[in-house]
Amino acid sequence: MPTTPQQAVELALAAIERYGRPDLERRLHQARARLADDHVRLLVVGEFKQGKSMLVNGLVGAPVCPVSDDVATAVPTVVKHAEVPTVTVVRAEGRTEVPLQELSAFASEEGNPGNRERLLHVEVGLPRPLLAEGLVLVDTPGVGGLSSVHGAATMAALPSADAVLLVSDSSQEYTAPELEFLKQAMAVCPNVACVLTKTDLYPDWRSIADRDRLHLADAGIKAELFTVSSTLRWHALQSGDQAVNAESGYPALVTHLRKKVLAQADLLARRSTLHDVLTVIGQVVDGLRAEQSAQENPESVQQLIRELTEAEQRAAGLKERSARWQQTLSDGVADLNADVDYDLRDRMREIVREAEEALLAGDPQKIWDQFSVWAQQAVTSAVSANSVWATQRARWLAKRVAEHFDSEREQMLPALRVGTADPLRSVPELSVRESDKFGLGSRLLTGLRGGYGGLLMFGLIGTVIGMTLINPISVGAALLLGGKGIVDERKRITTKRQNDCKVALRKYVDDVSFHAGKDSRDMLRGLQRDLRDHFTTLAEQLKRSLQESIQAAQKSVKASQSERDARLTEIKAELAALERVVKQVTA
Amino acid sequence: MITDEVRRTLLAAVDLYPQAREVLRRQLVRLDEPLRVAIAGKVKAGKSTLLNALVGEEIAPTDAGECTKVVTWYRDGPSPRIVQFPQGRSLPVVRRDGALEIALDGPADRLVVDWPSQSLRSTTLIDTPGIASLTTSNSLHATRFLTPDDSTPTEADAVIYLMRHLHSADANFLESFRDQGVARATAINTVAVISRADEIGGGRVDAMISARGIASRYRSDPSLQGLCQNVVAVAGLLAFSGRSLRQNDFVALSALAAVPREELESLLLSADRFADGSVERRALLGRFGVFGIRLAVTLIRQGVTEPSALAAELVARSGLGELQKVLHTQFSERRHLLKARSALLALDGVLRSVGDSRLTGAVERILAGTHEFAELRLLSALRSGTVKVPDLELASRLLGDEGAHPLVRLGLPDGCGPREVGQAAFAALQRWQRHAENPMLTRRAADACRVLIRTCEGLLPRR
Repeated sequence: MPTTPQQAVELALAAIERYGRPDLERRLHQARARLADDHVRLLVVGEFKQGKSMLVNGLVGAPVCPVSDDVATAVPTVVKHAEVPTVTVVRAEGRTEVPLQELSAFASEEGNPGNRERLLHVEVGLPRPLLAEGLVLVDTPGVGGLSSVHGAATMAALPSADAVLLVSDSSQEYTAPELEFLKQAMAVCPNVACVLTKTDLYPDWRSIADRDRLHLADAGIKAELFTVSSTLRWHALQSGDQAVNAESGYPALVTHLRKKVLAQADLLARRSTLHDVLTVIGQVVDGLRAEQSAQENPESVQQLIRELTEAEQRAAGLKERSARWQQTLSDGVADLNADVDYDLRDRMREIVREAEEALLAGDPQKIWDQFSVWAQQAVTSAVSANSVWATQRARWLAKRVAEHFDSEREQMLPALRVGTADPLRSVPELSVRESDKFGLGSRLLTGLRGGYGGLLMFGLIGTVIGMTLINPISVGAALLLGGKGIVDERKRITTKRQNDCKVALRKYVDDVSFHAGKDSRDMLRGLQRDLRDHFTTLAEQLKRSLQESIQAAQKSVKASQSERDARLTEIKAELAALERVVKQVTA
Repeated sequence: MITDEVRRTLLAAVDLYPQAREVLRRQLVRLDEPLRVAIAGKVKAGKSTLLNALVGEEIAPTDAGECTKVVTWYRDGPSPRIVQFPQGRSLPVVRRDGALEIALDGPADRLVVDWPSQSLRSTTLIDTPGIASLTTSNSLHATRFLTPDDSTPTEADAVIYLMRHLHSADANFLESFRDQGVARATAINTVAVISRADEIGGGRVDAMISARGIASRYRSDPSLQGLCQNVVAVAGLLAFSGRSLRQNDFVALSALAAVPREELESLLLSADRFADGSVERRALLGRFGVFGIRLAVTLIRQGVTEPSALAAELVARSGLGELQKVLHTQFSERRHLLKARSALLALDGVLRSVGDSRLTGAVERILAGTHEFAELRLLSALRSGTVKVPDLELASRLLGDEGAHPLVRLGLPDGCGPREVGQAAFAALQRWQRHAENPMLTRRAADACRVLIRTCEGLLPRR
């Protein structure tokens, strides 16, 4: 029976306790804390009425997500492990726990139409083995309903997910929007699987599944496709009929979740923990070995001390501000900052250019409603595309920095924080102030003003040649000029409206760029700090271990033969004990 | 009569504009043809299945995958015939198990199927490929057919729009109808159908009830009210199987009804369990679906012993009757009006492209002077909410929203004599006259009241 990562950490902690190395112990404590709150977020997405909530319910075996014949899910439901069933409602202001039976009042479209309670999400805790392994299921409202804000929200949640399940029912093959969504999801989150639901209802589900596989292959998407029936699963859960359960297709899906999703995450956790444990023990062992060889041949002690001192200096060098990795990191972050900023600006400029063309084409007041919706959607998708790109580049940079820690076992990366903040939250909506109407009254007034001027002008000229002030020529001129005045005024108002709209648009884009830029800079700064701390700590630990080895070696020079022999047996026993731990951990 | 008036104008136009003679001739012919109703919707919405149900025969091919690839016209004819356009080539008529099989010969943009059928006599049905299809060319075919640009005259007089749930793509599409599409479709000539209604509730026996509930929610949804006339829930597959129920189907279903309840329920848990190797059961499932079988078996258990009674009950439960009634009141009763409208729009397009105004006056006169058009316009305006009048429901009914018959318009029960009709019409007349004189109403509302008054006058019995 192999040890779990938690057990490995405990074993290592016990083993190094006697050496009085608080820095190494801290590292193991951190590893333990990381393991304790390791979650795998599985996002369940798809168009509405495809059976997403039923799928989540089937997976956990409890009616946690509202299910209805009409559109049901209003807010995302997060299902995670808990000792006793709990329901927590999460608002922007804070979290409140509510009684279990009130769940549907918050999560369903019926109880909370259009999310008027303004919830971020609902959290449900359940005691289930699958969840206890660290799986967190997120049931999202369907994409593509009448209010497709849901779509943008789902896209925004993608980068923070460890895995994605795309749900589609077996009544029909994939539609163009679904494949488009899948492609986007693949770009952000590599662990994507497709689920075909409701196989109990459609006799032809096999041919649909084959077609879907073809579509996936055509689009170059490498994702597995599972066919399930939630109805059968429910029946199996209630009757305990294993045959029906096998028929429902759920066991295969659960195995996939365990093997591919959880195991993948588990593998990562195991690897990084093992790495931590081995590094810590390795450093202690190195110290003991150095002491051992010093005790065994006192004449070569000076040579040993020289080597150790050199190594210590190298480690100290890694700690310095001028170390090469520090340079790579700071240069990289500066470059990244500039690139991300440029990318955002470029996207926004494109939107503004396109938008201004549309505005110039006519009276903007007539198209404003449609226009503002379009503009806001375009800006949102540009911002999310930009942040996805920034995340990918940041991951790449972290890898480059790690390469500096050459052959050392130190190339393990810390968990990088991912920007999940919504930069649009604090941006006021795109709006333009109601401009003055060019109604009948103002039209009359403008016309009169122009007409009056014309009348006087031509009338006065007329009086010179002996005509009255009001004569046919002057009246004609008055009408002409009055008409021209109205046309000019209308043109002026249209131009003014166009300018107003342009200003509003630019202001909105500017606001969004400002907030999005700030968010991405924050993200990068955080990243830089995390990486720097991580690698500096590593260098420090290395240096301290080497220092201890040097001290031990120096001490051995002064020791007597009998002391040496006693110490040598001690070291041997300690080394053996540590090796046992290593063997146990790596088994 | 409005058709005659339109015909006269068209004939005058043919003489005046020889360059547009072809287009105008077609319009003239169209005036005497049945009403053209297009069936549109997203991929796999069940368009062909519904068409089969409406005709009562399996003439539109259906399949698990995307099936309809070109716009296909189904019209009444003396003998079965399939013609493929643009080549104008006749295709062989092959029927297998009662289903018509069409094998395309080369690239096609349109198929015309002539089929002797009572159901097609008064309306020509047009099946279209689904929108939002992965095969972009299919999607394009449909979109081009349904929303032609300004230069080409519209092909369909009315539209049945199928959706499974109201998806934003559906709403966008309906909106684009309103702007320019088929016959400048205002809400007047579009009916939305929640198709595959049996699948909404996961095939439970009460699925149709919740489907109807959803339909009524959409009906009262303000964003949809301006887009279509009515929303109906229909289970297309069930309707079709009901209309074409065979004796052997009935025997098979009766045999199923004899199986003990629990055993059957366990069988019907999923399609696979039910079919499980048996070819006959598979065929039955293909024809009825899980819901259809559950419903039929329940009905037989409840004591339906005749195939004809079962067929009638299945059709009644499928919601097809409701749809047919809606189609009758919205489309068939107004077919002269809808056809005239299409013709006038086409003529208007010709006048615009020629840049001649000699007949513009005549077109305007018909459009403005015909009271039925005024009613249609007002009805559409009331639905989209641009005009508000008091007693909206009464007004819509009076304008023929639920049917053009005087009794329906006045909300009277069947069998009322001219006396009652006269009294009711007079009461309505007085009501709207009072509203028209109300100084608090806006000018447009007052205009609307005058249209209603005119309608009431028309309803008064002649002495």
